[in-house]
Amino acid sequence: MSEKLLDVQNLTMKFGGLIAIDDLTFSAKKDHITSIIGPNGAGKTTVFNCLTGFYKATAGSMFLNKNNNKMDLKKFSDFKVAQKAGVARTFQNIRLFPQMSVLENMMVAQHNKLMVASGFSILGLINSKSYLQKEKEAIEISKYWLDIIGLTNRADDNAGDLPYGDQRKLEIVRAMCIEPHLLCLDEPAAGLNAKESSELNKLLKFIKNDKKTGILLIEHDMSVVMGISDHVVVLNYGKKIFEGTAKETKNSPDVIEAYLGTDD
Amino acid sequence: MGKDLIQKSLKDSLFTGIIALALFGPIVGLRTVAKNEVLVVEPKWFVVLLIVAFCALGRFFINIYTYKKEQRRGEPSSLGKAISNFLDEKGAQIAIAAIAFSIIFPFMPFADRYWMDIAIMMMTYIMLGWGLNIVIGLAGLLDLGYVAFYAVGAYSYALFAIHFGWSFWICLPIAGVFAGLFGILLGFPVLRLRGDYLAIVTLAFGEMIRILLLNWYELTKGPDGLTGIPRPSFFGLPFKRYPDEGVETFHTFFGLEYDPMQRIIFLYYLILVLALITNAFTIKIRRLPVGRAWEALREDEIACKSLGVNPRNTKLTAFAIGAMFGGFAGSFFATRQAFISPESFTFIESAIIVAIVVLGGMGSQTGVVLSTIFLIGLIEVFRDFESYRMVAFGGAMVLIMIFRPRGILAKRKPTITMGKHG
Repeated sequence: MSEKLLDVQNLTMKFGGLIAIDDLTFSAKKDHITSIIGPNGAGKTTVFNCLTGFYKATAGSMFLNKNNNKMDLKKFSDFKVAQKAGVARTFQNIRLFPQMSVLENMMVAQHNKLMVASGFSILGLINSKSYLQKEKEAIEISKYWLDIIGLTNRADDNAGDLPYGDQRKLEIVRAMCIEPHLLCLDEPAAGLNAKESSELNKLLKFIKNDKKTGILLIEHDMSVVMGISDHVVVLNYGKKIFEGTAKETKNSPDVIEAYLGTDD
Repeated sequence: MGKDLIQKSLKDSLFTGIIALALFGPIVGLRTVAKNEVLVVEPKWFVVLLIVAFCALGRFFINIYTYKKEQRRGEPSSLGKAISNFLDEKGAQIAIAAIAFSIIFPFMPFADRYWMDIAIMMMTYIMLGWGLNIVIGLAGLLDLGYVAFYAVGAYSYALFAIHFGWSFWICLPIAGVFAGLFGILLGFPVLRLRGDYLAIVTLAFGEMIRILLLNWYELTKGPDGLTGIPRPSFFGLPFKRYPDEGVETFHTFFGLEYDPMQRIIFLYYLILVLALITNAFTIKIRRLPVGRAWEALREDEIACKSLGVNPRNTKLTAFAIGAMFGGFAGSFFATRQAFISPESFTFIESAIIVAIVVLGGMGSQTGVVLSTIFLIGLIEVFRDFESYRMVAFGGAMVLIMIFRPRGILAKRKPTITMGKHG
């Protein structure tokens, strides 16, 4: 039985009179892929924005179990969630640094580590050996991930010049460079073809099994959701309407109703 | 196809002509003259006609040119690309040649006082351009008030040197630190701003500093300016024909004849060294994590946050370091002029420096040099035509923007490559 990695209790997010998330409670486990699905506007991305500090939740609690150390995610604002708690995320519309090379994208993700290694630039300016060593290690890590997604030979090209599918994968491995405990993926399969989708599944399974990183996934592509999810949370109008395994979800009348409507 | 193009271009240029007429008709065409103590409108239609014709024809030829360019799209070599490829390939050699030329420049036969002054001025602008390149080119923060840091550097140098009698080499870092602190001071309120909003606030900041200098009479002597700023000495050896008793001067120490050019040449080398330090520092820091974070922040701030990059600290370091180099340049300006007043730090200076950076190609160090030579050189060449200088300046900018819309050198080199390490 694996431990709870993320524990969300009674999460509520209001924008003025609009209740985007209504009293949501769910949890995600360490070596699980937890999917959040639901029709458009159900509040899936809002959940992510609350978790990763881009929004400040109106009410509720979010705890991350980081090496048996309970961290209150509400305490961290935007960049600190990634820096201190180790929650990484990707975006619905890809957010790479398009004018920078693939390798540079990977290096920026290792910024905090390298910043310390470069003595906040002072050691770096004088070419200190210890910094150069750390920089080399960071390149090795980048190379390791780029090998996995097969982009090593394009490492020096601009990230914006990559094909769409590769940009998606690059965004995921870039997020992995911060060595997260929880990886939040916002529609990673959007716009991918069948082959790219199955490659993505493989990558996510690798991250889950070999890297022991919990994955929280928002997805519309049911082949991805059903293929790899260990646990599915279904949202509609900000409320959780169902929670269970992929198979259970597929057969749940509530879920079918939310997606397809009911007979009158 | 060609006929269609000409027809379209003609239509377009006609339209341009109408706009020009509407604009310049009232502004240039109707001139009020006082005749027998009565204001009379004196039309100047011929001038208006000239301007309108110029605009319309200009538009026509631009249309034809861009059309040709469209046709050639996909072909690898146009002139600008060839130049920038050439500069890429031979970059290192060209840089060495340029530095070598800068070093021997004062001993060229044609390098008289006039040329030396221009060279010093250009070097100052190059240094300012390189300093601002950190803020605009790398961090992508459009700073229209950069001259404020130049002013802070100049005034802090002048005040410390006058009141405490400290030497140039002590005052220089102090001035840099002061300017850097002002950079942080400006940085804090604008952290959340981007684009146009940021530009407006920085512009206002530049003006605030100037107005402060103008009105804080006790400290800055307001519009009278600060006089008697000590001239720099050659490591303690002053450049003076008649030194104070017991003081050895530069020319006696080296057994030379006194020549006022010695001081000018020294100033030239001083700014050359300062500028090269700025350049070396920028090139180096761009390859460090903080430099990469600047560029990443320029590309996408939200993505930066999601990766745990602290946007506040990153932006503030960019502002502070950029401002620091502005401060160094300011101290040099103060010691060279021996007199400073708020008039030297108007918005137009900021605008020129921003133009140098943008026209050079954002983030390109070589581009800054090229556009400085082009813009400042042009202003100097047109010196005899006085009020037409700014027209030439504007025209040059328009030309660069037409032919190289992303700046003279727009190509960006990665800060780190797999090839080198992998």
